[in-house]
Amino acid sequence: MTVQRRDFLKVLGVGTATATVGCGTGEVERLIPYLVSPDETVPGVSNYYATTCRECAAACGVLAETRDGRVIKVEGNPQHPLSRGAICARGQAAVQGLYNPDRFRGPMVRRNGTLERVTWEQALQLLAQKLGETRAGGRAASSVFINQHESGSFPGLLDAWLNAIGMPPHISFDTQSDFAAIAANRQSYGVAWPRYDFRAARVVVSFGADFLDSWGPSVSQQLDWADARADVAHAPRLIYVGPRRSLTGLNADEWIPCKPGSELAIARMLGGQASVADAATASGVPAAQLATLQRDFTSMRPNLALAGGTGPGAMQLALAVNALNAANVGATVNVAEAVTGYDGMDSPAVARAAIERMRAGGVPLMFVRGANPVHAFGKAAKVAEAIAKVPFKVSFSSVPDETTELCDLILPDNHSLESWGDAAPVRGTIGLQQPAMEPVFDTRATADVLLELARRSPSTAAQNPEPGYRNWLISRFPGGARALAAALQSGVAAGSMGARAERSGPAVAGSPDIGSTAGDMYLMLYQHPVLGDGRGANKPWLQELPDPVTKICWQTVAEIHPRAAERLGVENGDLLTVATAAGSLTLPALVYLGVRDDTVAISIGRGREFSGRYALAGVNALDLLPATSSDSSGALAYVSTKARVAKAGGHHELVTTEGSARQHGRGIARAVAAASLGQPYDPAPAAAHGADDGGHHEDGHVVPDMVGMASREFLPGLRAPVANDAQGDLGDPNSNDKGMYAPDHWSGMAKRRWAMTIDLARCTGCSACVTACYAENNIPTVGADWQNAKVFPDRTGFGANIIRSREMSWIRLERYFEGGEHGESDFETRFIPMMCQHCGNAPCEPVCPVYATYHAPDGLNVQVYNRCVGTRYCSNNCPYKVRYFNWFGYGEPNRPHYAFPEPLNWQLNPDVTVRGKGVMEKCTFCVQRIREAEHRASSEKRPLNADEFTVACAQACPSRAITFGDAADSAWSVTKLIDDERAYHVFDELNTYTAVVYLKKVNHPREGAATAGAPTGAGAAPQAVH
Amino acid sequence: MRGVLGHFRELDTTVDAIEELKQGSFGPITVYSPTPRHELEHVIAAPPSSVRKFTLVGGLLGVTFGYWIAIWVSDYWPLVVGGKPIASWVPYTIIGFEVMVLVGALSTVAGMFINSRLPRVSMTVGYDPRFSHGDYGVWVECDPEDATKCEDLLRASGASEVRRER
Amino acid sequence: MAAPAKPVDARDIEVLHRPNIASADIQLPAVRDYEQVDNEITATLSPTAAWYLGLATAVGFLVIGAAAWTYQIYSGLGVAGYNPPVMWGVYIITFVFWVGIGHAGTLISAILYLFRAGFRTTIYRCAEAMTVFAVMTAGLFPILHLGRPWKFFWLIPYPNWRYLWPNFKSPLVWDVFAILTYLTVSTTFLYVGLIPDIAVLRDREKNPIRRRIYAVLSLGWRNSDREWRHFARAYLFLAAFSTPLVLSVHSVVSFDFAMGLPPGWHTTIFPPYFVAGAIFSGIGMVFTIIIPLRKWFRLQHYVTLNHLDAAAKLCLFTSLVVGCAYMIEWFIAWYSGLQVEQDYFWNRIFGQWWWASVILYSCNMILPLSLFSQRLRRNTTWLFILSIFINIGMWFERFVIVIPSLSHEFEPWQWSGYRPTWVDYAILLGSFGWFSMWFLLFIKQFPVIAIAEVKEIVKPRLKRPHDQGIDMSGQHVAYERETPGEHE
Repeated sequence: MTVQRRDFLKVLGVGTATATVGCGTGEVERLIPYLVSPDETVPGVSNYYATTCRECAAACGVLAETRDGRVIKVEGNPQHPLSRGAICARGQAAVQGLYNPDRFRGPMVRRNGTLERVTWEQALQLLAQKLGETRAGGRAASSVFINQHESGSFPGLLDAWLNAIGMPPHISFDTQSDFAAIAANRQSYGVAWPRYDFRAARVVVSFGADFLDSWGPSVSQQLDWADARADVAHAPRLIYVGPRRSLTGLNADEWIPCKPGSELAIARMLGGQASVADAATASGVPAAQLATLQRDFTSMRPNLALAGGTGPGAMQLALAVNALNAANVGATVNVAEAVTGYDGMDSPAVARAAIERMRAGGVPLMFVRGANPVHAFGKAAKVAEAIAKVPFKVSFSSVPDETTELCDLILPDNHSLESWGDAAPVRGTIGLQQPAMEPVFDTRATADVLLELARRSPSTAAQNPEPGYRNWLISRFPGGARALAAALQSGVAAGSMGARAERSGPAVAGSPDIGSTAGDMYLMLYQHPVLGDGRGANKPWLQELPDPVTKICWQTVAEIHPRAAERLGVENGDLLTVATAAGSLTLPALVYLGVRDDTVAISIGRGREFSGRYALAGVNALDLLPATSSDSSGALAYVSTKARVAKAGGHHELVTTEGSARQHGRGIARAVAAASLGQPYDPAPAAAHGADDGGHHEDGHVVPDMVGMASREFLPGLRAPVANDAQGDLGDPNSNDKGMYAPDHWSGMAKRRWAMTIDLARCTGCSACVTACYAENNIPTVGADWQNAKVFPDRTGFGANIIRSREMSWIRLERYFEGGEHGESDFETRFIPMMCQHCGNAPCEPVCPVYATYHAPDGLNVQVYNRCVGTRYCSNNCPYKVRYFNWFGYGEPNRPHYAFPEPLNWQLNPDVTVRGKGVMEKCTFCVQRIREAEHRASSEKRPLNADEFTVACAQACPSRAITFGDAADSAWSVTKLIDDERAYHVFDELNTYTAVVYLKKVNHPREGAATAGAPTGAGAAPQAVH
Repeated sequence: MRGVLGHFRELDTTVDAIEELKQGSFGPITVYSPTPRHELEHVIAAPPSSVRKFTLVGGLLGVTFGYWIAIWVSDYWPLVVGGKPIASWVPYTIIGFEVMVLVGALSTVAGMFINSRLPRVSMTVGYDPRFSHGDYGVWVECDPEDATKCEDLLRASGASEVRRER
Repeated sequence: MAAPAKPVDARDIEVLHRPNIASADIQLPAVRDYEQVDNEITATLSPTAAWYLGLATAVGFLVIGAAAWTYQIYSGLGVAGYNPPVMWGVYIITFVFWVGIGHAGTLISAILYLFRAGFRTTIYRCAEAMTVFAVMTAGLFPILHLGRPWKFFWLIPYPNWRYLWPNFKSPLVWDVFAILTYLTVSTTFLYVGLIPDIAVLRDREKNPIRRRIYAVLSLGWRNSDREWRHFARAYLFLAAFSTPLVLSVHSVVSFDFAMGLPPGWHTTIFPPYFVAGAIFSGIGMVFTIIIPLRKWFRLQHYVTLNHLDAAAKLCLFTSLVVGCAYMIEWFIAWYSGLQVEQDYFWNRIFGQWWWASVILYSCNMILPLSLFSQRLRRNTTWLFILSIFINIGMWFERFVIVIPSLSHEFEPWQWSGYRPTWVDYAILLGSFGWFSMWFLLFIKQFPVIAIAEVKEIVKPRLKRPHDQGIDMSGQHVAYERETPGEHE
């Protein structure tokens, strides 16, 4: 199976690479319409520019799909060592940063409090004059430049420039990355971030490290992890240690809920420095469980331990964990292929020190670019007051934020998709960044601005001959322009643009131990899985994307355990007051099994005041962060205090897409124990591994030849290109007039049966596929405050439409819990992406009075928007509930409900209709991609190659769980997966003959203990599951 | 159009008059009554109404058209929905039935109108508003020479009022 | 023999002789002759202040509903309380409600006619008019609930150059045919029955303009024996058509649900269950209308307690049928062993929607049991109150059928709730305004009691009252044995 997938990736890579021939180092294209179009641009055909994603420090390689001179989508670069063709939700949302309606339109100067547009010339003159004054005053040396951390050669250019005017080197600022781990890795391995090889490991213990989501280069780690788990026989077990189950925690086979801050004790125990008893008392975990953990970890080698603690002891924890890995270096910890994106990152303590100097009034001039210290350190740190003391503040940020709000001069930078640049993804590789389009607004790349300024002042003009940053890069790129042009085809090049100098931050005391703080519950702040520390907050896709763990969108909630909820007398949505020394918040409670009952967990990243219209949703949990919360490395300590939690009275509906988190024994997301796989086929699956069937119904009495029953011999709807089930009597060989449904019809459509497999053993629930679908299919976001009808007085505010379950996501990620409802500490989670199943016998079709939905010969369940009158009968009749209705005119610019305010509408995919008010819509299997591929093939007079293309969700999926193809042609890799013994159809008892085949999740219970890791409350008595 | 109109206040006298007239050889008789009374029908002894034929024909036409339109439409542009046959007669039976009722009912009414010469533009001679109120009328078409005889007969059988129309 | 007309109250008639309710032939002892029928019934046609007030109220409600609909068309269906996967809501519920109301009219005018149930004669005109207006109201809702109402005609098979036709496999298209047929046939039936009465009005009318209008509407009807003969035959066949039609219409409406997959919908009991429920709700509405009407129009001696009593028995019977259907639903849910079905029923009765179920069962199963008592059957106040409860209960029956199924389907992740908004309520109110407006206009233009048919059961004036051969009782002996119901 793995081999098949490899081939699939290769073919995909080749396919996409051939599509990128248009890239070059030429001038950036203008927006069309063209009279004489440049030879690279064919209207209606996409160009792909290989460039680099700057949404997080990892700097994955991406392909920017441009159509007629506009970027319409960002996809993973198959040739890039990190992304390998996949991409996360944040990366795809880059286009919404590019087209963000709240971006600065051009340079601005603050005159008596308000920002006013000026020309670049005026702005540069003002800046030059201020620089001159500062240097004349001899105070340049005490000026500060805070830059959002990035790898590549820009920091070098920046430092050179600063040096030339006598300023100290810039501060490379990033609070989204786990600096404690980085600092520890530098000590232990000499690299900021090694590559973790999960395939080699037999057991992985994660101390709060959310490596599938926001901890490190998540896309590459997901790819590695999914490949490791897909090899079922040798898959590593994952044990998650931490007070709250993050996405990685939910993917773990076993959860050890320890007190916040006590991970260190457990790590010490594993290292043998502490006894089990001590660890048990410190962590509040039963000694027996810890003993087994110790036995497993020490016995199963090679093993791997990961540290993601964000408490005062994070640094020590990371060091202790690295010590545990000492024997694994070379085996599971791969230093040779180290991730270099974090090189040169400064400790947040450096920034803190600079801010203290500002507070003391010692800073005449401050530059900030991308970084947002005012927000990052929280209100209590009073960064704003400090910065306000700086006489002149310059911002290069292209979007408004709390720090820019204080600046006097704003020189908006280009978006990364508009800029030249380079990055260092992994050791020995250069990641290239090129503009995919003309700047949307009147912005300029900061590098160009710096060079321009340098050329203006006679003293620095000499060492900056290049007219612009692009030439600067070419002059430093090994091999020069020609080599760069060649390299841009793939977006990566071997070599390096020069290493970054590590700077050790000032010694930090670290905040006091949590136990010493006041409060009745531990407060656990954590970075939002997709919004990060708030950088994604103004992107409607990311706001609308349900948190993979809590399934909350557009809202900030306080997660508490059912027992805690009982104690506090609250239920879902009841308001809680959470108060710390720093401040107090009132927010609705979310009862979540995956958090300790003495801990309240709140995600940061929402409720931002000055960051645009969408970022206003929710409340800002950073207000609860004490002034100086850091560990000894200077990293922000999000888990550093207790809080007083009380019922506030009042209620706010949860903005969630979750109906019931339980399967009620309906066998939607099924699982199987690894041990029971690969055994000879048993006509009654229940007998073999029904124990983990999630209470599937056929237990014991499966009749394989009964139509509609899913069994290995019979996969309904996927048997023949002209299966009778899909074509009615036209599929009947005796029927004379078959029309386009006949296999020999000229269109040849009936020869195909488009189908999809989803491997639940790979799916991690990261939800990248959801955002990919939004981007590809012009799906409107509906959660903004102004998008709901003001007819529900109690339902206004962000997410009102989603409270009414009116989200439009064609593909949704369902998160089902198994077990844990009777007070067990551990429980199992099953993620299952659900989209239109393109049934062979689709219940939605016959009920439509106007043929707005019918069955295409190639197996697609077609939705004709123009014919739809909106009876919504099809949705009533859909057992999978995957049809979505346009309740408002989300696509009508003159309405408050408009989902694509200028220029967000520039992103819309021209191949896909923007649906009007009052029509039904649903997943189309990316029919536009199918037809495009078919047309390309026919215009090239060749048959469609197997795996030649894929759908948006499958293309983005960072765990390669989704495979799309023609089930009627055995050359496609999807057909192999359909034959997998784990294959099943959801609700096959309804005879819908779905085209989407799910592969059961594989559980890895600990040898000996059948129940550990995979609580089979589902299994023991399937019907009893509720 | 000439004849004699007898105006009766009671049902039984009306019946008597009609019996008398039927024995004597007079022209066709038209009886007006505020409400249909079987006594009157009995003495008039008219043949059963032919509306039933209209009903039958209309119903048959309707059911045929109902099935035909559904089947023709489906076959004209075959689209598969839910894996069902293109022309599935079972659901089309509903269409056939409804159209049968529709056409059948309308043709029934049409049959009634045609048979009873409705709508008529003018009240022909011999009608009196009282016939819709509470009284009965007997209109006999007869030649002037028989008119007198007829009048006497009507009076004899209890007509409250007799007049000759021409 | 024309005795001085002394208004006789129906009540002391009963004191005289308690009629045998069992016999379908219920006389009007207080009605002496044909002239009295004409005079008393035409007297009800003169508009009164109360009538104008009622009409104004009805139009007011209608305006509110129309305004809400306009707002909904402008901003989209989102302003209504839909909460996916609950894609159908108040509009479909109200649609089924009004269609059901219509059914009692056809039952009384057609089915009871074939069964020769004499008590229908005086209430059938009212019921038939109610049918027509109820179906007119119901017909609005499928259009109202469309996402793109301006495209509603795409459901109608009209020839077009693109050869785009509706999908005849879709229950919604069956609906279109059933509802349109039903509306046409019941309107025709109502009008045909009206023709002789309009002739009466024509002959009584003094006002020349109204007289002219009535003359046109009466098509020159002149009460001749030929007209009566064909009239009776056509009436019979219309009744014979309406009977299966009314059964089919609500069966088709029930197919909207029974053809669907959701638990609670996908069941074969729906057609009979819906028809019974429809007739039950319709009779409730007949009581709601006829009881105040006979009081205001002083027609107690036409619509006598005996008539109401007999109708109440019918109401009780249908209530028992509906209650039986409810219990069969529970049984099937348990007996089928389908866990999805069982979860749904549990949630419907004891879970999320318990309150709706309580309203439903108490109004439709418990309260009508009171009709076992003759004292209550003959108590108009109680009948009226009960009829209101029945209307509410039957609306909630449709609520319980539509909402809980959709909100608690196969896919637990998509389970949801439902709460209507003011738009839903405004349009619901508007539908009552629309219905009442038409009904009020009707009762002042046309006789609410079928004059000609009432005359059939009034003793004819005779010269020799004790003669044999003349039927004195007013009871009806069939003229042609082989063609029953030729006339009553």
